[in-house]
Amino acid sequence: MPGRLARWISAADPDWDAVYADQLPRVYNFFRYRFGATADAEDLTARTFEKAWRARHRYRRDLAAFSTWLLSIARNVAADHVRARRPFVSLEQASDVRAAGTPEEQAVRNSDGERLAALLQQLPDRERELLAMKYGAGMTNRTIAIATGLSESNVGTIVHRAVQTLRARW
Amino acid sequence: MEDTDLNSLRRDPSPAFAVRLQSSLHEQEKSRSHAAWPRLRAIAAPAVIVIIILGLLSLPAVRASAQSFLAMFRVVNFVAVPVDEGRIAMLESQNLDPPHLIGEQIQVLEDPGAPIGVVSPEQAGTAAGFEVKVPTYEPANVTLATIDVKGQQRLRATADAERLRHAMETLAITDLEVPAGLDGQTVDVRIPPVVRMRYERGGAPVVEVLQAKSPEVSLPDGINLAALGEIGLRILGLSPIEARDFAQSIDWYTTLLVPIPAAATSFKQIAINGQPGVAVERVRRLPDGGRQFSSSYLWSQNGQVFAVNGSLSALDMLKMAESLK
Repeated sequence: MPGRLARWISAADPDWDAVYADQLPRVYNFFRYRFGATADAEDLTARTFEKAWRARHRYRRDLAAFSTWLLSIARNVAADHVRARRPFVSLEQASDVRAAGTPEEQAVRNSDGERLAALLQQLPDRERELLAMKYGAGMTNRTIAIATGLSESNVGTIVHRAVQTLRARW
Repeated sequence: MEDTDLNSLRRDPSPAFAVRLQSSLHEQEKSRSHAAWPRLRAIAAPAVIVIIILGLLSLPAVRASAQSFLAMFRVVNFVAVPVDEGRIAMLESQNLDPPHLIGEQIQVLEDPGAPIGVVSPEQAGTAAGFEVKVPTYEPANVTLATIDVKGQQRLRATADAERLRHAMETLAITDLEVPAGLDGQTVDVRIPPVVRMRYERGGAPVVEVLQAKSPEVSLPDGINLAALGEIGLRILGLSPIEARDFAQSIDWYTTLLVPIPAAATSFKQIAINGQPGVAVERVRRLPDGGRQFSSSYLWSQNGQVFAVNGSLSALDMLKMAESLK
């Protein structure tokens, strides 16, 4: 094979381990924000990656599209989870979160986290999903709009309203 | 509360989980590359293929017990799909259920005959042609009662595009097309012998363990499984967006869709001894008003598929499944 072609193919094939490391926290936090302690974020994250990994080579030239597509699979997994209402998902694992900081800081963070998670669960489903995409997965309003089919301004409005609700109840 | 407060709740996944999942994805990649044999199209996990190509072989399974799936199909991955039972009843009422859709196009090339009783797992292994695994964990007072072996079966199915098109029209699926070149294509399915071990407690059957080697499915070249899969999912009642996303995100060559009646059942994707599978729980109302609980665990490992079905506690069922040696 001509050297130039080999280099081109090599350059076109991303480091999937690096992509995995980059995307894993986004998907994991999407589920944590989406379901709080009512679901196993690790289980849902694993299901998302297992589905996505088989077809990931389709996106070798457009990792931005891959990222959006991955979150669309995560949303489907979330929808399946809601539909199935599986009563025997481990709840213990969902609360197994780790964070840096002193034990005191950790206690405060856990306390705030539990409180916020409880407030999130009181929001309408769509608002919770958009907050999970924005703050859990770190998506911009534009990419959320692309993923959901909503307009960007509509996304901004819904997110703003949801945050206002959280602030009022905090 | 500011944006920083919301952002500060993000956590990194545990390193152990990150490593475990990455390792699982690498294994998945390896097994997929081993399984790929595009020239011959001799593909494991045929259930989806047969379901889709000829019009939903999966439908009777909605009401059947898990072992019915096992008797027909074997797979690498199981994915549960919630299905509305009302939808299934409607399909049957319009003669769109599998016997009507495909009954005339299935040719039995080899009949398995009646199951044969054997006296030991070793004898079952000799009859079935593989080493039979036995649960090393048995719940209290649960004992192995019978073992039988169902013989090999071979089927040939012939696609009828017109019949599938009619089904789609009846169901108002107008935005999808039956793929060109489907009509008259044949699919050969070889289902190797299935071993069933039944366990009893106090003389009453409480659990059964089924195992078999992977079948072989020969497909003609050029069949667009994702397109056919999308049609099948739509007929099962998934929304257009769900069906499209689902069809494009799973590997149709290695995945068995397990239709689950959404109203009466719960399910989850699980791992048994590190292998992906599905756990299904059912609750059946009894004539006296009581409820009967049962569950099934389906998974595949090293070219074989396994099912554990019964009415024991979920913990006992899972321990039996994981103890198969």
